[in-house]
Amino acid sequence: MSVDQVRPSANGSAVAGARPTAVPAAKSRPRRSRRAGRWWTPWLFLAPALLLFLYFKFIPMFNAITMSFQEVQPYLGNKWVGADNYKTVLTSDGFREAAWHTVVLAVGQTAGCLVLGLALALLMEGQSRRLGFIRSAAFLPVVVPIAVVAELWRIMYHPTGDGMINSLLGLFGSSPSGFINDPHTSMASIMVTGIWRGAPYDMMIFLAGLGSVDRGLYEAAKVDGAGRFQRIRHVTVPGLRSVFSILFILAAIRGLRVFTEVFLLTNGGPDGSTEVVMTLIYKLGLEQNRLGVGAAGAVLLFLATLVLTVCVHLFRRRGNE
Amino acid sequence: MQKQWLIGAGILTSAVLLTGCSSGPAGTQTKQNPDAPLELWTRTTPGGPGEKATLKLAAGFEKATGKKVKVTAIFDDFETKLQQRAAQKNLPDIVLNDVSQLGTLHSQGLLREIDLDKIKNSKDIADSGLASGKSADGKQYGLPYSAQASALLIRKDWREKLGLKVPQNWDEFTAMAKEFTTKDPDGNGKQDTAGLAAPLSTKRGYASWYFSNFLWAAGGDFITETGGGKYKPSMETPEATKAVQWFRDLGCKDKAIQPGAVTMDTPPTNETFEAGKAGMYVVGPYLLPRFDKSLGKDKYEVVPMPKGPKDATVLAEGGSVYLMAGSDNQAGQDAFADYAVSAEGQKLGMQGTEGNIVQLPVNKTVDITKERPDARWKTYADIYSTSGRYAPSIPNWTPVRQATADTVNALVADCGIDTASKLKELDSKLQGVLEEQGIAAS
Repeated sequence: MSVDQVRPSANGSAVAGARPTAVPAAKSRPRRSRRAGRWWTPWLFLAPALLLFLYFKFIPMFNAITMSFQEVQPYLGNKWVGADNYKTVLTSDGFREAAWHTVVLAVGQTAGCLVLGLALALLMEGQSRRLGFIRSAAFLPVVVPIAVVAELWRIMYHPTGDGMINSLLGLFGSSPSGFINDPHTSMASIMVTGIWRGAPYDMMIFLAGLGSVDRGLYEAAKVDGAGRFQRIRHVTVPGLRSVFSILFILAAIRGLRVFTEVFLLTNGGPDGSTEVVMTLIYKLGLEQNRLGVGAAGAVLLFLATLVLTVCVHLFRRRGNE
Repeated sequence: MQKQWLIGAGILTSAVLLTGCSSGPAGTQTKQNPDAPLELWTRTTPGGPGEKATLKLAAGFEKATGKKVKVTAIFDDFETKLQQRAAQKNLPDIVLNDVSQLGTLHSQGLLREIDLDKIKNSKDIADSGLASGKSADGKQYGLPYSAQASALLIRKDWREKLGLKVPQNWDEFTAMAKEFTTKDPDGNGKQDTAGLAAPLSTKRGYASWYFSNFLWAAGGDFITETGGGKYKPSMETPEATKAVQWFRDLGCKDKAIQPGAVTMDTPPTNETFEAGKAGMYVVGPYLLPRFDKSLGKDKYEVVPMPKGPKDATVLAEGGSVYLMAGSDNQAGQDAFADYAVSAEGQKLGMQGTEGNIVQLPVNKTVDITKERPDARWKTYADIYSTSGRYAPSIPNWTPVRQATADTVNALVADCGIDTASKLKELDSKLQGVLEEQGIAAS
């Protein structure tokens, strides 16, 4: 919107795209064109969104940062405790373990979703009408509410021989697994659930990306004698590079913030084997009523996400140069 | 070019400041309005029988006093939602919740002290009940309106089919649990039953809640008072260790606890029992109406817990009326608390066959056998008065329960862990909790 509005302005400012408001402020003040309008016009258009962001994002974030330095007791008065909350969080064994679990879960789910998503996308690429139906079916896990997904998997993961997945495993002579009820398998079980839910989402984005890969390159590679896997490796994957980086950022952020699956399936148990940062923050903040400590954990998580996003961004930019 | 940014930033900043200022200073007295409707929150399933019973009590109160009450039932994440309202400084006027929530609520300053002189019916409340509403400093912050203790529910048809007697001690209890697990008591040809249903999730500390029935019967304790209001952790004592080991064997060795117990809170565990997947369940009387309906009254029996190594002590608990801070109608709060513990309120709360909110009356002038001819209620009343034991009044019981729940959950989930070292770890965690609350014995 802003680009269209600003571009015809008289001085043709170069910063039009990035800073729409900058134009009218330029010192040489030529007569404004009708379309440029007053300086506050863009602000007016932005106002509804800004107001919503202000009340539902920026103020709560600001409050959370304040709370992270306080002992929060709404009816007794909050007490400033400096960096004590951060110290409590960072030095507790629980937090370090939870951070490690979060990283493991994020890496595992991201990798699993990317690989499975790409595989599904390659299988379902094409124009056929039936593919549309199959794609929709494959996409279903993404639109099903997570609470339903968790309940579904809880039933499938029933830990005795007559459980759904266990009876399948039984066909191969394997003894029944405890899945989410066994500290040794609980993490992997949650990861599988996450991949099952996340992969179709990646698949859709891959499908969109695959459409932009030049078909001519496939033919050229074929003529040059490249096999199926060589074509994927040397044509498809490089062609999807930007898609990969977008998906990587999205998946990594999603991975760090993982909460609902874990909360509904195991609540961090058994034996703390699936405790992630978000479930720990929830427990500290809302179950034990230490909102300050919970807020400190949340701020740390935000910083981690920010650093990760910036890193991936820098990495990507360097790759493009 | 700078100017617009400054203006934009100015608008944002002033809006932030304005919002920031709207939350005023704490502790100020709210302007009173004796006609303001009371907002009441109760921890029960919305739309369920518990909500209906609360509505009935509220209607009785309205009729008796002319004051209005708006009832809200919340079950999932009740404490979380209450925290959110506290953060907004807009608490409901009255909260009906477990007696054990007292410490958490009080330490946060969310409760108003109850002046017993203003509650004239409080003189009829049984002493042990009244004591459960006192904070660690001896002041009254909760008024119990209902009491209960745990009893053992047994699938009578299974027991009779296998020719077993009602267990009188832990050995017989174990034996029955084993037979229920291995002897196919439901006769469907599959080994798909368990001896004991147990909610062992860490959520809300359920595992600890349930295990206290066994720990105390063995003579063990989570924390022990050393005198002068000081406590020391005691999960490493021989009694506690024995109880943990015995309970753990039930799950790990005998496989007599329902599969998946370590990730189950109460709703799925209730389903386990009523679906005929487990033969025993240790619970309070509030589930009887539900099981009568789903399972059938003739299918199960209610008996006192068998005697453990020490005695048959079980967890006593109940519900309290909490008068929340910042209310604009304190007179109304007092009046509701008074009505809830009055003979009339108690009888009203006990009415009906399902979803009564008063389990055992706290008011001494109300006779349970008269109000509830069903003999099973007498069983519960007897257990409560002879073997019921409340969690101790420390500033905040929640962290103790959470820490012990984590350990019990871990020990049953992973049969490979060493019990002694895990309990040692727990004791040092409990020591930390006690120190944080300033009640650790030196």
